[in-house]
Amino acid sequence: MARTVVARTLTQLIAEREGTRGLLIAFEGPDGSGKTTQRKLLKTWLESEGHDVVSTRWASSPLVRPLLKVRKKIRTLSTREYSLLHAVDFRHRIETSILPALWAGKTVLADRYLFTALARDAARGLDLDWLLHAYTPLLWPDLVIYFSMTPEDSQRRIASTRSPHFYEAGQDVTGMADPVASYGHFIDRVVTEYENLAVIFKFVTIDAGDAVYRQHTRVRELVESVEKRPWPEFSKDAVEEWLRQPKAQRG
Amino acid sequence: MAPTTQSPARLIALDGSRGADIAKSAEQLAVELRERGVTCVISRWDASGLFGELAQTAQRATASIRTLSLVYAADLAFRLRWEIGAALESGAVVIAAPYLETAIAFGACRGLPEQWLRELLRFAPPADVQGLARERKLDRGWKPRLDRGYPEYCAALLAPTASKRLPKTLRAGVIATLRSARGGRVYRLEGKGLAQAASAVTVRLRR
Repeated sequence: MARTVVARTLTQLIAEREGTRGLLIAFEGPDGSGKTTQRKLLKTWLESEGHDVVSTRWASSPLVRPLLKVRKKIRTLSTREYSLLHAVDFRHRIETSILPALWAGKTVLADRYLFTALARDAARGLDLDWLLHAYTPLLWPDLVIYFSMTPEDSQRRIASTRSPHFYEAGQDVTGMADPVASYGHFIDRVVTEYENLAVIFKFVTIDAGDAVYRQHTRVRELVESVEKRPWPEFSKDAVEEWLRQPKAQRG
Repeated sequence: MAPTTQSPARLIALDGSRGADIAKSAEQLAVELRERGVTCVISRWDASGLFGELAQTAQRATASIRTLSLVYAADLAFRLRWEIGAALESGAVVIAAPYLETAIAFGACRGLPEQWLRELLRFAPPADVQGLARERKLDRGWKPRLDRGYPEYCAALLAPTASKRLPKTLRAGVIATLRSARGGRVYRLEGKGLAQAASAVTVRLRR
C-alpha cells in the first residue's frame, strides 16, 4: 500500500516536472565527425540565448574515470570489462550529473551517449540485447543528432591529426599492430552498427562532410523545433529510480 | 592427506550475506576438498582491484546500488578471465566465493529488479555445485567495512551515515533470498553440509 502511494507520488512528480525540465540532446557519430565542435558551438549559442547549459562527455565520471584511464593505458581490459566500466561511467553520470541538471531545468548536451556504447561494443562482438540491458533503465534523449561520415573519411581525419589509442583503434579485437590500419577495420564495423541504430532509434542525421557553419545552422534549427520525448512515457523507470535514491547519491 | 589427483574442472559457487562468512566457508570447503585429493583454488571478490580503487575516490559516496552492481559485474568478468577460467582450464576445481547469488540477493533487497541482475550476470557460466556460507551473527546487520566483502562494502557506501549499520532486517531479507529455491540442490556449508558439498564435487569428478 505504502509503496503504491510512493510510486503514484513519484509518477505525479515526474509528470508535473515535464513542463520545466531541461532538454537532453545527444551528439553521436564516428571519431573525427565534428561532434565536439558542433556541441561547443551549440552551447555558446544556447547560452547567448539565455539558457543554462551543461555538457557531459564520454567516460568522464569522476567515480570511474581514474580506474578506466589506468586500465586502458596498460591495455588489460577484456571486451566485457571495457563495456561494463563504460556502463558504470554512464550510469554514474546519469544519476549525479545529467538527471540533476535536467530536473533543474538546464539543457544537457551529451558528447556521445548510450549509442556510442551500443555501436562500439556491438562492433566488438557483444550481444546488443545484453548491452541494452546493462544500460537499463534508459533515459531517452529528446534529440539524437548523428554526424554521419564514411569509415574512410573517419580514418583519414583521425590519421591526419594523431595516432588512435589502442581501444579506440579496436586493436583489442582486430589484433593488428598498426593502430591506423586497425582503426580502418574497426571503424567500418562501428559505422555499420551506428547506421543500424540510426534507423531503429530514429536519429536525425547530419552530413559531417558539410561546412561547419551549415551543420551548425541545421543543429540550431533542430534544437529550436525539438519536441520533448515525454518522461512519463519513455524514461519513467530511470527518473523514478533516481528520485528514490538518497540525496547523497543524486548529485 | 590423500594424494592430489588431476581432476576434471568443476566450478563451485559459494554465496552468503557476509564477506567474512563467505571467506571462512570457502577456506573450510577447500580444506575438505584437498583432504579428498582434489586440486582446488578460491576466487575471491575484488580480484580486479576495482572496488578497492573506487573506495579511494572522493566520489565514492555518490555510488548507487546500480552502479555498484555494474562494478560487481566488471569484477566478475575479470575473475572469470584471469582466475576462474584459467583455473578451470588447468583442470582445477574452483570455489568462486562469492559468485552470482550474493550480488543478486543484495541488489534485489536494495530495490533492483532481480531479473535485471540475472540478465546482467548472464555471461557467467552456471556453477556445477552451489553452496551457501554458514551465516554467523544472525542478529546483526552489516558493519560498514570496505575490506570485508561485497555486502559490507555496499553497506559502507550506501548507509545513510558512515557509522550506521545497514539494518538487520535488510540482512535477513538477503539471507531469505539466498535460501529461496533456485532450482538444483544448494548445500549449506555448516555441519554435515560441508562434507556433502565436497562429496557432491568428488562424485561428479568420478563420473
